[in-house]
Amino acid sequence: MATLSLDALRKTYPNGFTALHGIDLAIDDGELIVVVGPSGCGKSTLLRMLAGLESISDGELAIDGRRVNDLEPAERDIAMVFQNYALYPHMSVADNMGYALKNRGVPKAERRRKVEETARLIGLEDLLDRRPRQLSGGQRQRVAMGRAIVREPKVFLFDEPLSNLDAKLRVQMRIEIRRLQKRLGVTAVYVTHDQVEAMTLADRLVVMNGGHIEQVGTPMHLYERPASRFVAGFIGSPAMNFLDARRADGDLALPCGTRIATSHEVHNDAVCLGIRPEHLSRVSEADDTTLTTRVELVEPLGADTLAHVRLDGQEEPLVARLDGVQPVAEGDTLYLRPDASRLHLFDLDTGRRLDDKDIHSCPSSPSSRLA
Amino acid sequence: MRYRRPGLDIASHAVLILALLAFCLPVWLAFTAATHDQASLYTSTAPLWFGDQGLGNFRSVLSEPVARLGTDVTRLLLNSTVMALGIACGKIIIAILAAYAIVFFRFPLRRLCFWLIFITLMLPVEVRIMPTYKIAADLNLLNSYAGLILPLIASATATFLFRQFYLTVPPELLEAARVDGAGPWRFLKDILLPLSKTNIAALFVIMFLYGWNQYLWPLLITTESDYMTIVVSLKRLLSSADNLVPWQAVMATALLAMLPPVAVIVLMQRYFVKGLVDAEK
Ligand SMILES: Nc1ncnc2c1ncn2[C@@H]1O[C@H](COP(=O)(O)OP(=O)(O)O)[C@@H](O)[C@H]1O
Ligand SMILES: [Mg+2]
Repeated sequence: MATLSLDALRKTYPNGFTALHGIDLAIDDGELIVVVGPSGCGKSTLLRMLAGLESISDGELAIDGRRVNDLEPAERDIAMVFQNYALYPHMSVADNMGYALKNRGVPKAERRRKVEETARLIGLEDLLDRRPRQLSGGQRQRVAMGRAIVREPKVFLFDEPLSNLDAKLRVQMRIEIRRLQKRLGVTAVYVTHDQVEAMTLADRLVVMNGGHIEQVGTPMHLYERPASRFVAGFIGSPAMNFLDARRADGDLALPCGTRIATSHEVHNDAVCLGIRPEHLSRVSEADDTTLTTRVELVEPLGADTLAHVRLDGQEEPLVARLDGVQPVAEGDTLYLRPDASRLHLFDLDTGRRLDDKDIHSCPSSPSSRLA
Repeated sequence: MRYRRPGLDIASHAVLILALLAFCLPVWLAFTAATHDQASLYTSTAPLWFGDQGLGNFRSVLSEPVARLGTDVTRLLLNSTVMALGIACGKIIIAILAAYAIVFFRFPLRRLCFWLIFITLMLPVEVRIMPTYKIAADLNLLNSYAGLILPLIASATATFLFRQFYLTVPPELLEAARVDGAGPWRFLKDILLPLSKTNIAALFVIMFLYGWNQYLWPLLITTESDYMTIVVSLKRLLSSADNLVPWQAVMATALLAMLPPVAVIVLMQRYFVKGLVDAEK
């Protein structure tokens, strides 16, 4: 169990490419932090720097208040689960799990006991003598987890550990990882590009983009108050709709003529208006607060229906999430009313949220700030 | 491809049998000749059937000093074995370490080192044999096992093969090992070596044969029969004009010279098959 503190961490690769431009983050004891962002944004780089597999170009990394910048991975007392599991192919499951203990000089009997205990915890008892290639993908994933757990590290690091599994197993393992992490109380950093995985796992989410942190916060905070257009578009599925809007007499006016009353105090003349698909509701009559749209595609999902619609003067189609099974078909005209209390306004140029004074403050626990 | 045509079957079998005969006949002749006495070998043409000596000729070359050689074949076999084993093991150890350094470590001039090793692929022993001889002589290595082994102990080929294999090892394996607290030696011993078992076995066979079959270098560097290798001795047995060539001894020695390489191949072949069956990685 441990706290982590990242202070202005930068990474410049030997080829001159700067993958991380100063990452600040304080991670609390026992917290499960999920780092999420599009491919290539530097998530793996960050995780590998925490692990000690990649050198830290600048800044300071501390575990439990102790600077670990220059420590070897093994000395940092972390465990890592790799995307392709990286199990030792010639060793049995038991040897794979016990290898770190063996390197630490733990006596054989104790090693065996710990491995068996962990195997029971994650349901691997019957597979201890198998080789990795005799296991299914899900079982390998479990072994990789077991290998991390058995050493009782201070920090778990996961790099997209579920991306090689099928959808069902992914959901199952996701729940199990969350359960195990809470049960063991070990601080964990989990990297993924899958925002659903991120939302369901995280105590706090770190959204990254192009080597920067865009926002840190609980999944619900990020969902409800995304600090930037990037976060707004990344968190939530289907993604948020964005419309250009102008300010008119305290209301927002869309190019199509719709006016939306807003309580936001906005000083910009033109803004980017964000509306989540679930905050568009279908109405039967058009008025000046509704959007008149033409249906392009209907995705009935059972519990709800996704309607991809086109709004006049708008390049990107909008997506609306409508309750239950809806009698709509391609080509229909659909009247949609945005929920005025759940709008998001972003600066057109910077993409920053407009109504948020404390955009840059990352809600983090006071205790870990002491480090 | 399989064609069901009787004519083709017969033809291909005929070719195979001919090739087999061409290969086996000399071995057969050596074997039968080794069981005759010298007199009968000089009174008839090459005998196709066994003579009356049984294994007596083998016994005598193994236990008594052979004329013209000044030592018995047991000693020659020992010398050859020491040389072949030394070369095979040395080459493999050095190649493993060199390839390990080149693939897994970042050090200055790494690329240059690799290319230097690679270039020596183009320089067989014979090209550099005179300067090598001079160095060996200056270091007092003539007539010694060290002299037989050391100049042949580094292998660019083996280094290159190990490098190619190491490049296919997923980098995450190294990273996992680092996180698990394995230093460079442990990673080599616990992970890389077990994974390269089959490569090592294959190279061992090839390098053992290479060492066993060395002729020019042992010929140059040994003048005393105590350090002569069996391959060199065969030429020596044939090459003097003063009296009749003792064909029965030559044949017995030749057959004995074949045994260790054959044994290595047979033993290692079983290992290959095993390695292939539970091929891992
Ligand atoms: N060894 C390296 N040398 C140079 N650039 C690298 C190296 N590794 C990664 N990068 C670059 O750093 C950026 C971030 O990579 P990575 O952390 O792997 O992204 P992610 O895991 O978020 O997909 C990418 O643009 C990638 O091309
Ligand atoms: Mg990655």
